[in-house]
Amino acid sequence: MQTPSNLRELVSNPSAILSRYRDSGVKVVGYTCSYVPEEIIISAGLQPYRISDIGANASALVPNFVCRFASGVLENMLKFEDLFSAFVIAHTCDPMWRLYDVLKKKTSKPLFFLRVPHDIENELSLNFFEKELIRFKRFFEGNFGIKIDATSLSNSIELCNDNRSLLKSIYMSNSGGRYGISASERFPFVLSSMWMPKQEINAQIRAYDFSDSKAHRNVRLHLNGTAIYDLDLIKMIEESGGFIASDDLCTGSRYFWSNVEKSEEPISSLAHRYFKRNPCPSHGPLEDRLEYVNLMLREFKAQGLVVLTGRFCDPILYDSVHIRNMLAKSGVPALVIDYENSIQEVARIKTRVEAFMETLGA
Amino acid sequence: MTVQKERSRVLQTTKKINELIIEHFSKAWDVKSQGKPISWVTVFTPVELLYAMGVYPISPEHFGAMCSARGVALDYFEHAEKSGYSQSLCSYSRCCLGYVTSGMSGLMPPPDILITFRNSCDVYVKWWQSLHSHLGTQLFVGEAPYVLSEDDMDNYVLDYVVKQLEQLVKMVEQKFSLKLDMERLVEIVKLSDKASELWLEILKLRRFRPCPLGGRDSASDIFPLVVMQGTDEAVKFYEELLREVKEKVNSGQGIVENERFRLLFDGIWLWHAFDLIKYFEDKRAVFVHEPYSEAWACRLDASKPMESIARKILTMGLNVDIDLRIESFLKSISEYQIDGAVLFSNRSCKSWSAPQLVTADILREQLGIPSLLFEADMADPRQYAEAQIKSRIDAFLEVLGER
Repeated sequence: MQTPSNLRELVSNPSAILSRYRDSGVKVVGYTCSYVPEEIIISAGLQPYRISDIGANASALVPNFVCRFASGVLENMLKFEDLFSAFVIAHTCDPMWRLYDVLKKKTSKPLFFLRVPHDIENELSLNFFEKELIRFKRFFEGNFGIKIDATSLSNSIELCNDNRSLLKSIYMSNSGGRYGISASERFPFVLSSMWMPKQEINAQIRAYDFSDSKAHRNVRLHLNGTAIYDLDLIKMIEESGGFIASDDLCTGSRYFWSNVEKSEEPISSLAHRYFKRNPCPSHGPLEDRLEYVNLMLREFKAQGLVVLTGRFCDPILYDSVHIRNMLAKSGVPALVIDYENSIQEVARIKTRVEAFMETLGA
Repeated sequence: MTVQKERSRVLQTTKKINELIIEHFSKAWDVKSQGKPISWVTVFTPVELLYAMGVYPISPEHFGAMCSARGVALDYFEHAEKSGYSQSLCSYSRCCLGYVTSGMSGLMPPPDILITFRNSCDVYVKWWQSLHSHLGTQLFVGEAPYVLSEDDMDNYVLDYVVKQLEQLVKMVEQKFSLKLDMERLVEIVKLSDKASELWLEILKLRRFRPCPLGGRDSASDIFPLVVMQGTDEAVKFYEELLREVKEKVNSGQGIVENERFRLLFDGIWLWHAFDLIKYFEDKRAVFVHEPYSEAWACRLDASKPMESIARKILTMGLNVDIDLRIESFLKSISEYQIDGAVLFSNRSCKSWSAPQLVTADILREQLGIPSLLFEADMADPRQYAEAQIKSRIDAFLEVLGER
C-alpha cells in the first residue's frame, strides 16, 4: 500500500496546508521544535504547525555560519508570516535562541519564547519549566481572549497521546530485528502529525494497512541527528542499501516516544512529559542521550549508526564525538556526515553513505 | 587618508596584566599541590561563592584567549580535531578540549569539579558535558534563563537561580567537606562589587575627548573581572588603573594623537590579531566603548549576597532580551559620541553574532550610524583573512571621513 497521496504532497510542500487553514478560518500557531506542547495550543482552539526549513533559502538576516536549519526556519516564518496568528520558539540551542531575537525585531505577530532548562535531571528545573508552561497558557489566553480550562487540556492531551501511540506502534514494527516499515514510508506520518489536525492524521494512520509495507531487508541502521525534513536524504540512504530501523530525531522518535500521564493537574503532567522526555542534543545529561541511542540500537538491532547533521549544528557535533567513542567500545560502526546544504551536496553525501554501506556488507 | 606615524599608547597599568595572569595560573598549581580543590568554570559563574568556600576557579575561556594571543592554540585545536571535534565548533572549547586530550601539561591544573551556568551561550552545556565525559570529574550545570523583561528579576526566574546557587553550595560542601562562611562571602561580595564599581567608573571616563583608554587596554584590563572577582588584587588593580586614566583625562592625553573617529566594537576581541586594534589607532580611530568590556561589571548588594550573585549571573550582557540590549546600545552611541560601529561576526560565537545584522540595521535606521561587519574567529587564526579585513576597514574609515 502506498503512502497516502495527500501525505506525500504535504511532506514535499508543507506550507500548502496553511492556505487551507486560512480559507477555513483556522488560526495557526507556528512553532519550532518538539519541546513545544502542542496540547496547550490545541486546547486554545488553535492549530499547531511545526515550521520546517523545506523550500527555504538561508536567511539573509543571520550570518552563514548559523546553522542552515535555523536560518531556513526563520526564512519560512517570515515568508509565510501572514498565514500565522502567533509564533512560538523554544530555547534549545544558540541559533534557536537568537532566532527569537531576530524574529522579535521583524514580526508584528505575537511571539512566545519558551525557556527549556538544559539539564533535565534537576527537579528545580522541572518546577521552573512548569511555570513556563503556565506563562505559555496565559500567552494564548491573553492574546486570543479565551480561557483554557483543565477539561480542554485533558481532551487535547488525550488526542495527542493517541497520535503518539499510533506513531510509536508503527515504529515498533521494526523492533527486535523485524523489517516492519521503511523510514521513507514512516516519516510522512510523523511529519504530517506536526502539520495536520490530529483527528485527521490519526484517522489516516488507523486506516493505513502497514502489513503491506515494502521494507527491504537491507543493512539495519540507526539515524542520529536533530531535525530532518528532507525525505530525499532518507530515500538516498535506503537506495544505498540501508534500512533505517530507528532514529533519535526531533522529527522522529523524540516527537512521539513517550505519552503524557493523565492527572488532575494537566499542566504538571505536560511539564513532566516534555521536560523529562528523551533529551534534545542541546540538552543533557550526555549520559541520558547516549543511553537513548544505546536503547535504540539494542531494541532495533542496528548494525551501524549514521549521524546526519548540519555543518554548524553545535549540539550534534559535540555529541557525535561521544557517540563514536561509545560505539567504538561496542564495535558498532558509525558514520558522521555534516553538510551545509543537503540538496546541493547530495552526491557527496551519497558517496559516503555507499562507502559506509559497503563496509557493513550491503 | 593620512596614516598617523606616532606610536599608539597602551596604559602603564595595562602592562601589569600579564604578570597578574601568570600569577593567577601559578597560584592555581600551588593550590592544587596543597590538595585544595580547583574548579574549571565558564565565565559568569559565581566565583565569589567558590572563593568563599575555598575553591579556586580557573576559566578555560580565558585560557583559550591567552593561547590564541600567544600563538600556541593551534596545537590544541589540532588535538581536538583529531579527537573528532569539528572545526565549526567554538574555538575556545576546541582549545580546551585539545588541552585535555593532549594530557593537560600546561597552565591549567586538572579540575576537581566542573561548574557552568548556561547564560551567555548554550555551547557551555555541551562543552562542559564533553569535559565531564573525558575526565569523569563531577559536573554542575546551572541554568540562568534568558531574561525576557525586568519582571524576571523579581519573579520565579530569580528564585530559580538563587535555589540553584544553594544547590551548588551544597554539592561543593559535600564533595570537599567544606563549609560556606557567610561572613567571608559578604566580604568577598563587597570586594567584587568594588572592582565592578571601579571598572564602570573607568569606562565612563572614555566619554572624554580624547579617549584616555583604548581597545587594547579594555581588552586586557577585564581579566581581573573574569575570575578574580572578590579578591583584593582585583580591587588594587582597578584603583591603580583609575588613577592612571584620571591623570590622562586631566592632562588631556588620548590613546591616539588628534583623535579622528570614535568607534564602538561589538563582539569578543580577535586575540590572535590584537594588532588589528592598533591598525585602527594608526588611522586615528579609537574604540571608546564595547558592550563586551561593560558586561564583566555588575554591582552587588552585600546585604543580599546570594540574590545579588543570581542577578549577576542572569543579567550578563548577552542574556537579556534584545530590546533591552539594543536600548543600551543606542544609549551608548550618544553617551560616548560614537561615529561608527565595528561588528565582529565571530564564527565561534553564534550567540553573539546571530543578531548583529539586525542590530546594524537599527543603528543605521534610528541613529544614522554606519557599521562595518566582518567575519573571522576570536581564537582560531585559520579563519582570519587579514588583507581582506584591513581593506574593508580602510573603506569604512573613508566613509566615516566623508560624513
